[in-house]
Amino acid sequence: MRLQKQLAGTVTSEFPQSDIGILFQDDALLPWRTARENVALGLGFRGMDKQRALEAADEWLARFGLAGFEDRYPRRLSGGQRKRVAIAQAMALKPKLLLMDEPFASLDAIVRARISQEVVELVEREKISVLLVTHDLEEAIALSDAVYLLSQGPRARVTERYNVPIPRPRDLVRAKSHPAFAPLLQKLWSDLLREVDMSAGAEAVERTARAAA
Amino acid sequence: MTFDPKHTWIRQLAAFAILLVLWEGAGYAGMLNPLYMPTPTQIWRAFVELFGQGTIWPHMEATFTAALVGLALGIVVGISLGVLAALIPPVAELLEPVMLLLNAIPRVILAPLFVIWFGIGLGSKVALAFILVSVVIFFTVFTGIRQVDRKLVERIQTLGGSRIDLLRQVYLPSVAAWVLGNLKVAVGFAFTGAVVGEFVAASRGLGYLLSFAQSTYNAALMMALVLLIMAVVLVIFGIAGRLEKRLLRWS
Repeated sequence: MRLQKQLAGTVTSEFPQSDIGILFQDDALLPWRTARENVALGLGFRGMDKQRALEAADEWLARFGLAGFEDRYPRRLSGGQRKRVAIAQAMALKPKLLLMDEPFASLDAIVRARISQEVVELVEREKISVLLVTHDLEEAIALSDAVYLLSQGPRARVTERYNVPIPRPRDLVRAKSHPAFAPLLQKLWSDLLREVDMSAGAEAVERTARAAA
Repeated sequence: MTFDPKHTWIRQLAAFAILLVLWEGAGYAGMLNPLYMPTPTQIWRAFVELFGQGTIWPHMEATFTAALVGLALGIVVGISLGVLAALIPPVAELLEPVMLLLNAIPRVILAPLFVIWFGIGLGSKVALAFILVSVVIFFTVFTGIRQVDRKLVERIQTLGGSRIDLLRQVYLPSVAAWVLGNLKVAVGFAFTGAVVGEFVAASRGLGYLLSFAQSTYNAALMMALVLLIMAVVLVIFGIAGRLEKRLLRWS
């Protein structure tokens, strides 16, 4: 699972590696495997019987509205469908902690809204902790229980923490009309602009800490 | 006048037919020396003769055997060396210059050498087909593996896949895709190797027949043979194309 060697210090985690799922912005599916086979990959790596892994994959695809697309190769899926397959692939391993690096960035607005909502519902139901890195402040607030502001790199560090008092379960559209939303967004923006100069691009880290529940 | 793209083949066929008629007509009118330029009907007669007497079959068999054995060996060895070189840097250091050199020269110049080494039998033709194919496949696999999509590799790792899983899920399918993508080139090279090898020194094969036709100044036979080799390679291209389509249906 380790993608990079640590440069210094120690890495501690409450979770065993097998409980951590990762989703990147441009997750690539194996082009020579069908949607079903792609979702079943991780289960196979864990030694699950191939037939059972494929059946589990079908169930996950159905949950993400991809019933009937099981035998399609990634080339024949839309961007949103591919993203759903990638999410199903990660979720099929039943992670307790999900690390996401701008997972929705490459999607167009409407698909993005739908998939974010699906993920929020799944994460709330399955009680999964999520660490999400995003540049989108509205997304950060709408999705999470706590937002951390990360200073500009190199040597970026957490400079601020904000609690998001919007109750769960959440509807992402309605979350934005919650009375706490606009003030928090404004505060985040002003802090962020003070933190980094505009040109360099800012980064906010946010966290959906549903886990404790 | 409009040209419907759907009818392209009709126009091509018509042009070809007109060319044949003009060619034949020029021959009848005595405008072509049959020693250099036989008419289509003469070529056709030579063609029919080859098959009618059945003399062609052992020659076809010899060429096919040399080309296909060379092709198979070239693919196997090319893939093996390509994988080794891509995964083990010291191997690449040794192999890459040799392969670059072999790639830079027209490899058919090795034909006379192979005749000395492997005799005028099948061996020298297989060797020539092999060397032509293996170098192409080597570079396909070698550069291909080094250009494997990092994202796919990371994906397998984050899903908990082992090195074996990585090989099975990412590297092998990639290698298969590149090799299949170059299969037509390899087939062409295999037949080039076999025919040129026979041309240089042999007692059987289409290349041998060609050189025989040349020594007897039989232009009609030569042209018939050229057509035959074209047809053979086209058929094999068709098979390779089908294989490619079937195995790469995901792409």
